[in-house]
Amino acid sequence: MMSKKFVVSSSPHLRSPDSIRSIMIDVLIALFPVVLMSVLLFGYRALITIILSALAAMATEALALRRGNFFGDGSAAVTGLLLALTLPVAPPWWLVIIGAVSAIVVGKLVYGGTGCNIFNPALVGRAILVISWGSHMAGDVWLCPEPYAFTADLVTSATPLATGQAPLLDLFLGTVPGALGETSALAILIGAFWLFYKGHICWRIPGSFIGVVFLLGLTQGGITAGLWHVLAGGVMLGAFFMATDMVTSPYTPAGKVIYGAGCGLITMVIRLFGNYPEGVTFAILLMNALTPLIDNYTVPKKFGEVKRNHA
Amino acid sequence: MSNFGQHLTRGILHDNPVFRLVLGMCPTLAITVLAVNALGMGLSVIVVLVCSNVVISLLREVIPSKVRIPAYIIIIATFVTLVDMLLNAFSPDLHRALGIFIPLIVVNCIILGRAEAFARKHPVLPSLADGLAIGVGYTLTLLVLATIREVFGSGTFFGLSLFGESFQPMLLLASPPGAFITLGLLMAAFNYLYKKLEVSQKKRRSKQSAGDVTVPAVGTDVPKGG
Amino acid sequence: MGLRTFAGGVRPGHYKITADLPITPARVPEQVVIPLHQNIGAPCEPAVQVGDSVKVGQLIGTPKGFVSAPIHASVSGKVVKIAPYNHPLGNPVEAIFIENDGQDTPWEGMKPHKPLEELSADELRKIAQEAGLVGLGGATFPTHVKLSPPKENPIDTVIINAAECEPFLTADHRLLLEKTEDVILGLRAFMKVLNADKGIIGIEDNKPDAIEQVSKALAESAGEENIELCILSAKYPQGAEKMLIKATVGREVPPGALPMAVNVVNQNTGTAVAMAEAIKLGKPLYERVVTVTGPGIKKPANLLVRVGTLVKDLIEQCGGMTDDARKLILGGPMMGLAQPSADVPAIKGTSGVLLLTEKEVKQYSIVPCIKCGRCVDVCPMRLLPNLLGSYVEMGLVEEAEKAGAMDCFECGSCTYICPAKRPLVQWIRMAKGEIAARRKK
Repeated sequence: MMSKKFVVSSSPHLRSPDSIRSIMIDVLIALFPVVLMSVLLFGYRALITIILSALAAMATEALALRRGNFFGDGSAAVTGLLLALTLPVAPPWWLVIIGAVSAIVVGKLVYGGTGCNIFNPALVGRAILVISWGSHMAGDVWLCPEPYAFTADLVTSATPLATGQAPLLDLFLGTVPGALGETSALAILIGAFWLFYKGHICWRIPGSFIGVVFLLGLTQGGITAGLWHVLAGGVMLGAFFMATDMVTSPYTPAGKVIYGAGCGLITMVIRLFGNYPEGVTFAILLMNALTPLIDNYTVPKKFGEVKRNHA
Repeated sequence: MSNFGQHLTRGILHDNPVFRLVLGMCPTLAITVLAVNALGMGLSVIVVLVCSNVVISLLREVIPSKVRIPAYIIIIATFVTLVDMLLNAFSPDLHRALGIFIPLIVVNCIILGRAEAFARKHPVLPSLADGLAIGVGYTLTLLVLATIREVFGSGTFFGLSLFGESFQPMLLLASPPGAFITLGLLMAAFNYLYKKLEVSQKKRRSKQSAGDVTVPAVGTDVPKGG
Repeated sequence: MGLRTFAGGVRPGHYKITADLPITPARVPEQVVIPLHQNIGAPCEPAVQVGDSVKVGQLIGTPKGFVSAPIHASVSGKVVKIAPYNHPLGNPVEAIFIENDGQDTPWEGMKPHKPLEELSADELRKIAQEAGLVGLGGATFPTHVKLSPPKENPIDTVIINAAECEPFLTADHRLLLEKTEDVILGLRAFMKVLNADKGIIGIEDNKPDAIEQVSKALAESAGEENIELCILSAKYPQGAEKMLIKATVGREVPPGALPMAVNVVNQNTGTAVAMAEAIKLGKPLYERVVTVTGPGIKKPANLLVRVGTLVKDLIEQCGGMTDDARKLILGGPMMGLAQPSADVPAIKGTSGVLLLTEKEVKQYSIVPCIKCGRCVDVCPMRLLPNLLGSYVEMGLVEEAEKAGAMDCFECGSCTYICPAKRPLVQWIRMAKGEIAARRKK
């Protein structure tokens, strides 16, 4: 017994319980209120879109990696879900599937899989859909929500960003036309709170993102306009769930602030001067591309390093 | 010409100008919206490449090496001008579609590259074969790229409607970003398959008896780019 | 006021299952194996020969240089063998085997010194050196070297490191409770040697009983106004020298420098107690408190262990190990060294014997970094462990050196926190080894 051989490895000998999988499960939990709200507002069509997108994403990854485990590390499920939440309520079924497949293949797998991608996969999927099938992704495809009417027929309408009209309270609760998951700031905040609580996101990216949008919104007509720009469109969903994607955002503390502020700036530039009514998707994708550069220029000062300019 | 087959596999596989040498990117990305444009471009390049390879090979002893690049450019430009005028005369539609990219064949790195890497060191017949092989490789590659982009981006193939009225094409593929994405994916797939092929060939070769001489791939020392 | 601490760090849980168990003397074994290399720096030469009789506390190893500490016999008896033997650091090292005669005859040289007030700084330094004191936190840096700062670095503060941030370990915690006066006496001795005006005892807030005891002792005794009790947030690696200094006095030790550079000296709780005992009893460092603990031990305990006792004897005294014990660690779970077998002697730097079971021992395959930046958040040195790790993974050791690999002190927080389970600190360690080897050339 005493001559027993032990396992030898290099310290540390304890590992934190968090894994990629557990983080992804936490993100799924955080998305639950958003999904719930979209089903409450938009009925069964929302549920179909969401399930279709998530399943297509997971199936694509499982097939491509020839993996027995359908769920895997859970990142495909998150990508599929996030993609669905940026779609209109009832797009054609093939649109959802093409979006999910291209999100996984073009957005992630071609770079080498989880951790290697440069751009947020869900937004890559969305961008491909917006460019390819603009008529299904913008304009009069947005349905007016009918709370608690699960199977009601919904009327189409333009989004608040296109019309420029909607009371702030409706924007906060989500009872406005828009993409599945972006309308209800309330649901997004509940989900984001869970991510904060679990320590998966910090204030830096969402804070600077929303802060810049608010500040630039102020110039459009005071505090109401500022709040309106924050609550309308995809800023809330983008700031808390898309821009905070770990793989495609900077890892240095200062870099996160710069990145978030850049997202806010580009969003507002597109909204105020661009052709698209909404700019969150392209703002985040553009800042994704800048992420390695931002990281490179915001390397923190080492402990004890003298804080003075090196000539 | 007995080893023309070898030249051809080299032009399509080992030295594929787009996927392996990454030459001539500009027209590759720009004109592959429609298959017919790709075919026109490919054929033009074949003509220019074969002719210029032959002439440069013939003049290889005459052209002083210090001024060879201007000399090549003049030779190439001559043939390009011929092709440009012929296209304009007999196929004005295609000429309009290809636009500036026909004159730009003059500075296409594939043609200059083959002149520099092959024709100036080899006799006429091999140079002709090389020009033809590389040209065919380029044309095939353009066709594959353009077919994918045309079929899914416009729903047609050589102008023929494939899927009927209800088909909603993927506009992304018909746009310039779509060219980059499609090319990137194809290049990755090509090199993945190429490596697999190489490995299996190596295995087969090591099984065979030694002394089985294979022709080394020529011309891989061409500077990349363009 | 909030708890003082540093930026970064992790909270791996406390697991202080032995916190309420008093220190009990371990069984003195039939034979001790005392390695001749027990400190950072030069090893010792044997001062005895095979066949010699030795007494408890007698000098048996003389140091080969200034950065080295003498070694003393931990039992009385006969030297039976001088030969290489397993060593906690890995490679076998010359060791003196002493057969215990069971008498525990103390060496005549062990006599109380004068009270602290009458001793001069030089005398105190000599006492520390002759008692073979080394840093008992695990790094085993010879104490007298720390007590001899160069003239250009006058010391104004001495910090007693009672953070004990490693999970599981409770040796310092028990010393704070049971030998409070000795800790304070040791601190005062260090302050006197260094002519420092200020003493700080830094304790993590997960030891409320120790905090209460120390503050009571400080309040009761007169003349301790210049000693401050500093309550620290219980966070790993709070007990790392540089982090402790940052948390207590707010100074940052520059990269590559010693605490002396910011006019501070750190000493471990156990070292302070050993210093006090060296003054009061003339006792050299031949025994220390070892926490034998972990889910793989049947009856965890805090033992007072003679240096040279084999770890397997300690495990046996604690009821043996459970059937599923898979990993033996000397030290704490974050920085301790895994041992291939229990046939290894406890040395001056052995603060704990930790046995982990199958449940804690896992292997992970290497997957790509997901750039979550947690390692960047927790790195107490504010390095970029993700980048350093990737550099080493791709064989770019020079890049890793430029990015500050040598400033890493291998606390392991990055590897602990990594959700992709990448062996970050292990890679950095590899790079450090390679860089050090290259610099030697």
